[in-house]
Amino acid sequence: MTDFYEQLLEYDLNPYFVFNSNGRIKSFNKEAEFLFNFVSIKELFEIAITHASKSYGFEKKFINIQYKKQKFYAILVAYVNDDEIALRLYKEVSQIKKINIDKNYQLCNIYTLINLSKNTSLVNSPLKTEEVFDVSIPELKININKFLIILNSVFTYFTNNENLKLTVYLKTGEYEIINEKKYYIVCLEFLSNKEIVLDSINLNTNTTVNIFSKNNKLELEIPLLT
Amino acid sequence: MKKFIAKSDESKKILNIVQVSANLPVNVVIRGEGGVGKKLLAKEILPNAISMDGKFLENSIINNSINIDQYKELIITNIHQVLNKKEFLNNLINIKIVATSKTLIHDIEEQFAIKVDISSLNNRKEDLDEISNIYISNANEIYNSNVSLDSLKIDISENGISLKKSIYKNTLLNSMSEEDIETALENFISTKLDENNTYKYFLKVIEVPLLNIAKVKFKSQLQMATKLNLNRITLRKKIEQYFGNNND
Repeated sequence: MTDFYEQLLEYDLNPYFVFNSNGRIKSFNKEAEFLFNFVSIKELFEIAITHASKSYGFEKKFINIQYKKQKFYAILVAYVNDDEIALRLYKEVSQIKKINIDKNYQLCNIYTLINLSKNTSLVNSPLKTEEVFDVSIPELKININKFLIILNSVFTYFTNNENLKLTVYLKTGEYEIINEKKYYIVCLEFLSNKEIVLDSINLNTNTTVNIFSKNNKLELEIPLLT
Repeated sequence: MKKFIAKSDESKKILNIVQVSANLPVNVVIRGEGGVGKKLLAKEILPNAISMDGKFLENSIINNSINIDQYKELIITNIHQVLNKKEFLNNLINIKIVATSKTLIHDIEEQFAIKVDISSLNNRKEDLDEISNIYISNANEIYNSNVSLDSLKIDISENGISLKKSIYKNTLLNSMSEEDIETALENFISTKLDENNTYKYFLKVIEVPLLNIAKVKFKSQLQMATKLNLNRITLRKKIEQYFGNNND
């Protein structure tokens, strides 16, 4: 019977974690394992102890948490002794977006678009850019017009910065599912010397491009549609 | 077809951007003062597209006097003069557009994936020299003259437009023979000769440039009178008449 409950938790769509009193992870499920790609154990432990009830028990809270594409609307913190504390995150599931890969999606070289956008957006800018490009990334299908508008907005945002490091690489172990098909992900990572305020960047979300930011890092993720 | 001249670093960069844009399904806006070469750049992107004035096209769409669906690509000039820009662009949603504008067009700039700014000829010395040389060479060919650029006063207040005008005009003036000048004067006199313009008026037309040049060339009134073989008192009177008492 115990095995059944363990299996239930293991295959649950919502991630759960059990920590010991030192913040070391004792147990977690498959969804939790995936989440470790985006968030540290320390950060999760902090959430658990911050939101735990004053005495032993179960504390439910409706708070919004986001780690990259993963959004959560509530948490459950449970502890019944001083040795372990559990955290469960409740996933916000929005309707799966169906993307129409129409004639506007055309094969192109990602670096051509980056250079084009950089050359038109950073005219007279003092910004020094360092580029680390994975040249093995093949041509990919993208809505060029919309993607360039996003890129222009990103470069324009950094216009008055001093430094910007742009790294383009193929993500390992992560995929994007579009119209029930799995695609590799190309990541454009912009590392600035200042904290990034995503609200200041005009981003057209109606594309296959996903945008994330944390501290001084901004990431654009593009599925490698070929 | 006239080509965009790209000798300066700025122009080379811009030309490279528009050449890449030519192969992409994106809308482009080219911004800059009059006469900087916006239309030529637009033609680099869409060499076979027809070119229409923004305001004219807007009126044609409103009046239903144009079948816009027949176009796959368009060059739209002076898009900054279009009144309702958002609605205007909504009507052109399936058309590849290269627009030119003399000012920033804040409300619709986001709809252009590529924005190119081109500065005035004043800031593009290498381009100015090259374009001037082309114009002077063409002008010399037309007027069968051999005028050098150094001897001409060029005007770049309106960039390429005024540059071309000033070079052609000055080349023509510099290449005129005595006979040509007489013909030009005769034409001028025949259009101006009526009861309002007296003999004095036409004399002034001839004498003012003569005195101006003589003053520069001979420096003093004494020298001017001697070289022009003119009585000094008469010369002084004429200078006072045309240039006032302060002119020595």
